[in-house]
Amino acid sequence: MTNFVQVVILGLLLGGVYALMASGLTLIFGVMRVVNLAHAAFIIVGAYFGYYLYEGLGIDPLISMVLALPVFFLFGVALYRILFPRIEGSERFGEMTVLLTFGLAFFFEGLMSFFFTGIFRTASTGYSTDAFFIGDIFIPKGQLFAVTASAILLIGLWAFLKYSRIGYGVRATMQNRDAAQLVGVNVRSVSTISFGIGMALAGAAGTLVSFLFAFFPSRHWQWLAILLALIVVGGMGSIKGAVIAALGLAVLSSLVTDQISPEWAPMSFYGVLFLMLMIRPQGLFGKKVRI
Amino acid sequence: MTDVRTPTPEAAVTSSEPNRSRWIVLAVVLAFVALLPFARWLESYNYVLQVGTIILMWVAMASSWNILGGYTGYTSLGHNVFFGIGAYVGGMLLVEAGISPFITAPLAGLVAMITGAIVGLITFRAKGPAFIISTIALLLVIFLLLDNWEYVGGANGLSLPLAPFELSWVKVPFYYGMLVSAVLAVLLGYRVAHSKMGLALRAIAADEVKAEVAGIDTRRFKLMAYALSAFFPGVVGAIWGYSLTYVRPTAFFAISVAAQFVLMSIIGGRGTVAGPVIGAAFIIMLNELSVTYLGGSEINLAFTGLIMVLALLFFPLGLVGTLRATNKLPGWLDWD
Repeated sequence: MTNFVQVVILGLLLGGVYALMASGLTLIFGVMRVVNLAHAAFIIVGAYFGYYLYEGLGIDPLISMVLALPVFFLFGVALYRILFPRIEGSERFGEMTVLLTFGLAFFFEGLMSFFFTGIFRTASTGYSTDAFFIGDIFIPKGQLFAVTASAILLIGLWAFLKYSRIGYGVRATMQNRDAAQLVGVNVRSVSTISFGIGMALAGAAGTLVSFLFAFFPSRHWQWLAILLALIVVGGMGSIKGAVIAALGLAVLSSLVTDQISPEWAPMSFYGVLFLMLMIRPQGLFGKKVRI
Repeated sequence: MTDVRTPTPEAAVTSSEPNRSRWIVLAVVLAFVALLPFARWLESYNYVLQVGTIILMWVAMASSWNILGGYTGYTSLGHNVFFGIGAYVGGMLLVEAGISPFITAPLAGLVAMITGAIVGLITFRAKGPAFIISTIALLLVIFLLLDNWEYVGGANGLSLPLAPFELSWVKVPFYYGMLVSAVLAVLLGYRVAHSKMGLALRAIAADEVKAEVAGIDTRRFKLMAYALSAFFPGVVGAIWGYSLTYVRPTAFFAISVAAQFVLMSIIGGRGTVAGPVIGAAFIIMLNELSVTYLGGSEINLAFTGLIMVLALLFFPLGLVGTLRATNKLPGWLDWD
């Protein structure tokens, strides 16, 4: 029983970070109908950002996380301005963006491999190997800090979407792009800001990754697949769905790791993805779209 | 496949005279490609033959991808899954039963095709982005399965015996194996494009709901497209594994291999019959040049990504598509 509780707790801690990773991806999809296949590559860029600030300047990754937000926001806005206006009018916009970000993912992976090499990295902070004990159950400090930071960012995102003026615009665009435009929402600037926010969330998640996992440039495909599974299962565009899917599937994958073996853990994400596509293609909280 | 040709208006106008010169050019090109292995006096004969083999292999694969990704408009970002499955089927039959992959290649294609149809049954409930995501997930699932399945060698994969050909000729059978696959794959692409099925697929790509309203059994045609597009990657996978003398998950299931399918079709012109052929030749030669002069596979990867981004932004119709749009496409490349 203790073991079971332990496994579930570790799963939830992992899921909290996955939730942050997936939130930016699903936000961008919800607003712009863009599946950003480079999202996980940008998370790795964020991880190097955290790693080098820690190794070079001794800045704690949790502080780098706060720094990453504006830096990656601006990076996202710039990238959006360069890439997307060109294809906005394209007939198959959705598909174009998938291919465009697919190419982008390779571009950044290649650049990172070139500059940072393929060596495994981890920012070895004091807390990344430490743990709290409650009775027989241990809670890794690094994981706990990361989950707390994720939760704060996700609550901040929620409050921003719910109460700010821009947040209204973002939610209106998510619900119905044309209608939002009709009632005077500047859909293009909302898209730009959302892309920036999505990127800021990726960067922030990356700084957390820097001390949680051993990472290297080509690692992003594995994470991307997990994140894509999460947003499809949760319902594409639903942040609530992504968070619930992240927590649920991370617990499932911890159970698989514990009961079967770690190699099969990713299978829980893919397996549930295919199951969801068979039963309910729109996902848990997705709108049923008839294309 | 129904075989009802639908003559396009252009074809009716430009018949007879230009048609003959078109066939002459094509025959010359094909003869050149077919006779290349006899040019043994070439200084870098082995290198030329190797690059030729790779180009022909990719012509077969990109043309197949194009049936699903080009005509039908359903992008697969994990199509090398069928390439890998073919390699494993061919490799296992060689190791266990001692049958040459040159004989079992069609069977490998068939297994890939059946896999495609089964996967299609599951994933075609999803459309657009969710479908694309399912293709990536499929790739990673099969990768994971084969990486951990000890019977087929796990992460180390299979070691295959050397092909029993005389050493100085050893590359030649592989070259012709790929040539036959490439020609057949292009012919398949041509036949599909000029059949009722091709019309249906293009209708699905243009507007699936309208296609369905017009009475097209979209589900059946999509499944057929998926299955057909899986066949030749399976065939050439079996041959390619034999020529490498090993079948390892990382060699076949890397996602950068999947990117090649997409990139070649985009550069050549998605949805055109000749596009993937031109794209495959162009990208492989570019890869060879970049490896020779830039070295390092890291920069090569960044380069691949950059080309894809630039092509999508500035050259979305691809070579064949752009030439057609400006009415400059030479007759011998106009296969649509």
